[in-house]
Amino acid sequence: MHLAFGPAAEKTVTDPGASTSEAQAIEVASIEDLHVTFRRSGKDIAALRGVSLDIRRGEILGLVGESGSGKSVLGLALLGLLDARADVRGAVRVAGRDMAHCDQSARREVRRVHLGAVFQDPMTSLNPTMRVGRQVAEVAGSKDEAERLLGAVGIPDPASRMDAFPHELSGGLRQRVMIAMAVAGNPDLIVADEPTTALDVTVQAQVLTLLRSLRDEIGCSVLLITHDLGCAAQVADRVAVMYAGRLAELGSSAEVLARASHPYTLALLRSRLSLASDRTTSLLALPGEVPNPAAPEPGCAFAPRCDLAGPACLDAPPPPLEVRPGHLSACVVPAVEVTSRLAEVVRAAVVPHPEREPHNDDVVTLYRVQKSFRVGAGRTTRRLQALRGVNLTVGRGESVALVGESGSGKSTLLRIVAGLESFDGGKLEVAGPDCPQMVFQDAGASLTPWLTVGEIIGERLRGISRAERAAKVAQALAHVGLPAEVAKAKSAQLSGGQRQRVSLARATVVAPSILLCDEPTSALDVSLAASVINLIGGLRRELGMSVLFVTHDLSVARVVADRIAVMYLGRIVEVGDADQITSQPVHPYTQALMSAVPDMGREPVALRGEPASPLAPPAGCAFHSRCPKAIDDCGDALLDVRLTAVDRSAHHLAACIRATA
Amino acid sequence: MAIAEPVARRALRTTSRRKTRNLERKASVAAASLFGVVTLAALLAPVLSPDNPLMPAGAPLLGPGKGGFLLGSDSIGRDVLSRVLYGMRTSWFAALGVIALGLLIGGVIGLVAGATGGWVDNVLMRITDAFLALPAPVLAIAVVAALGPSLLHTLVAVSIVWWPFYARIVRGEIRNLAARPHVEAAKLAGAGRLRIAVRHLLPGAVPAALVTASLDIGNLVLTLAGLSFLGLGQSAPAAELGADTARNLSFLLQDWWVPVMPGIGVLVLAFIGNIAGDGVRNLIEPD
Ligand SMILES: Nc1ncnc2c1ncn2[C@@H]1O[C@H](COP(=O)(O)OP(=O)(O)OP(=O)(O)O)[C@@H](O)[C@H]1O
Ligand code: SF4
Ligand code: SF4
Ligand SMILES: [Mg+2]
Repeated sequence: MHLAFGPAAEKTVTDPGASTSEAQAIEVASIEDLHVTFRRSGKDIAALRGVSLDIRRGEILGLVGESGSGKSVLGLALLGLLDARADVRGAVRVAGRDMAHCDQSARREVRRVHLGAVFQDPMTSLNPTMRVGRQVAEVAGSKDEAERLLGAVGIPDPASRMDAFPHELSGGLRQRVMIAMAVAGNPDLIVADEPTTALDVTVQAQVLTLLRSLRDEIGCSVLLITHDLGCAAQVADRVAVMYAGRLAELGSSAEVLARASHPYTLALLRSRLSLASDRTTSLLALPGEVPNPAAPEPGCAFAPRCDLAGPACLDAPPPPLEVRPGHLSACVVPAVEVTSRLAEVVRAAVVPHPEREPHNDDVVTLYRVQKSFRVGAGRTTRRLQALRGVNLTVGRGESVALVGESGSGKSTLLRIVAGLESFDGGKLEVAGPDCPQMVFQDAGASLTPWLTVGEIIGERLRGISRAERAAKVAQALAHVGLPAEVAKAKSAQLSGGQRQRVSLARATVVAPSILLCDEPTSALDVSLAASVINLIGGLRRELGMSVLFVTHDLSVARVVADRIAVMYLGRIVEVGDADQITSQPVHPYTQALMSAVPDMGREPVALRGEPASPLAPPAGCAFHSRCPKAIDDCGDALLDVRLTAVDRSAHHLAACIRATA
Repeated sequence: MAIAEPVARRALRTTSRRKTRNLERKASVAAASLFGVVTLAALLAPVLSPDNPLMPAGAPLLGPGKGGFLLGSDSIGRDVLSRVLYGMRTSWFAALGVIALGLLIGGVIGLVAGATGGWVDNVLMRITDAFLALPAPVLAIAVVAALGPSLLHTLVAVSIVWWPFYARIVRGEIRNLAARPHVEAAKLAGAGRLRIAVRHLLPGAVPAALVTASLDIGNLVLTLAGLSFLGLGQSAPAAELGADTARNLSFLLQDWWVPVMPGIGVLVLAFIGNIAGDGVRNLIEPD
């Protein structure tokens, strides 16, 4: 066990290219024609419908799919953790055992010796009442080994962290603890189910880099389950794309990126946002929604959303066939035709944005707005400085994105503009006549559960007759692409994408002067996120609204906004035109955020450390504890870094003593 | 791994439990419908009773089954069965009345406190706690001493100590709901305080209040019977279970049915109340 990063490294294959060719013969796990069916309220839910897949020794296999595509079920099947009452057919072979059918003790043995697991939310997987050191030691065998592992997964000062409870660690550190537990005992395969979804971009990049370097060092295989094709392609050697419980496409990351052959993969690639997405046209969103697993299509499950679907697609689910050596695609249309035929469809679907006429008046003006919260009780009460003097304007019809890591104060700022939160100092002006409207991250929770959609939207329409109100509600629903019947439904009966549309309909049934959006897409699948972004853009242009859009993702900010403001620890550190900020960021923090954006075919550059605590913002430039360009002056308590123009236009401002120098 | 396991299971557990759930559900519906059955029986007491409960209908102190009296007759020849049925009717409606009043007062106070928050919440909850600390029997004796013995006075006294439970429960639910984004969304949509309280908060507290109330009925039946046993209920000759047991205790050794039958009536009512309450809880809060 103590071999973990020592001699074991000799057997590893560091070059991913080599690993795919050399190690072909040896698989650590192989899945053969796996079918998994659950029974729920009398209906059969077909979670997996015939998947065959090998995981090779030392490879990182990215498993990509939207929610409900069955990727987590596949991960659980590998771990032998499927519910005993699920109907499982086919085989899941790990270390010579069939994890789907062998008895519990054998599964436990395989898990202990050969497997490791990392789940999305480390908080629920770690025991909250036990110090992390003991938890890791339990699987690692000894305290020393545990401490060594914590160090190996990049936890700074592991000796002192051994005594911490899980809630005392940040999300990124907790995920590292989970990873330390997963690699304890040198497993052959680590199943990582959405290990970075709950984390900030910068921390996400750190964790992905860590997984990759662990693979390089100890030579284990990793099954990286994620909904983000870009994230998978970035770290994985091979990528498997799943749709509705079946494999759609499988190939090396480079192949799948450069020569995707399945219409679904292509649609995912098209709707995925990157720093290179075209800002001048609408995004190519995938129409429709993920199919209902209780009523599977007889033919290709993708047919209802596929631009190329024809009669041949409707008979039987197409099997994955080799389109090039080592590259499989499950589509009846020959791979060469797929790309050329889709290109035509796509060309027709692109809608260029109309030119925006510049307005000179501002809808929202913030001047040195400050906000602090009291945290703790009694003697231990402390002041948490959420906003430390924010200046920002949003022009009429303009869209501004607020970007920053978790805890930087984005949501607080938005809630202050909405009037949901008071502020302690500074000035705020919001142009009338009516109050701003807001779209929340968790759209489901923002809809009153016992009221119908019609009643919820109608709430904004007071003083008109019932028939008029119903007509307006139907019109608002049509605007967001929902049928009028939705007015009769309650929020629990809607899907995630539909809920977000309903909350947009409520916000726009009477057009507000400004629409506030708090991460409206971060809880949605990639394909849905693109259509919601299109929708917000369309509504804003049509209704002449301004938009203030909070996101932690610069590539989203870039396409939704005319201007971007980057926040760090309660201050805006850089603001300017979206193009300027993303092409020539001058503040070191913006630069770090940019390089952390997961992008295909590029190594992520992780920013070290995590945001400093807003309970005690560092003196001088608050970023200096993490800044790669910091000089001694930056930490000077007397230093007051203000936003200053970086060019002559006075449009692009940054708060860094080295940016303007 | 060892620790990750239960979590992964939890994710899938919901899918497999469903089958047994269907059976459980049917049982719960049956149990909950007992409320309706008992209420109907209470309403129909005049029809179901073989004799007038206040008038002698035959020889005194006949044993159960004798002289046409299914449960026997009492010391002046009244039908014990009829008296028990009428007594159950009184107890049942009294319990429902106290609960309805408790829900109303407690609901309003809990809603106002929870929806307003701040000092209003603090003051209202202090008052609620003060009432919660009052002992029911002592208060009942005081009220009856002041206003004279009558069932109504006892009910007033019990209601005074009963509503604070509901105020606490409703307020807790409302505070949880008030923290949900849907309330902020309603604020932004232009809904006023009253509208938010009634439309966006109150309906969410109804299930919890109903569950508590239905689990409470059995409890209340016992409390009221205890008070009337102490002489704090209806005055003679009206039929009442607790009082009938107390007044006829001297017959326990020779003519046991006279005091025991009303006592059994109390137990049956409380038992049915608890079973039905459990049924309601299982229906409203499955798991
Ligand atoms: N009601 C509150 N009481 C105490 N602290 C708060 C409260 N609301 C926010 N904070 C704190 O203020 C700081 C800024 O929070 P805010 O929610 O604005 O961050 P954010 O940038 O939106 O982060 P995220 O990306 O996680 O949503 C955080 O440290 C947060 O914990
Ligand atoms: S088989 Fe048909 S429906 Fe399915 S992806 Fe191919 S073209 Fe589209
Ligand atoms: S002021 Fe100094 S620490 Fe702050 S961002 Fe600029 S270089 Fe970095
Ligand atoms: Mg936020």
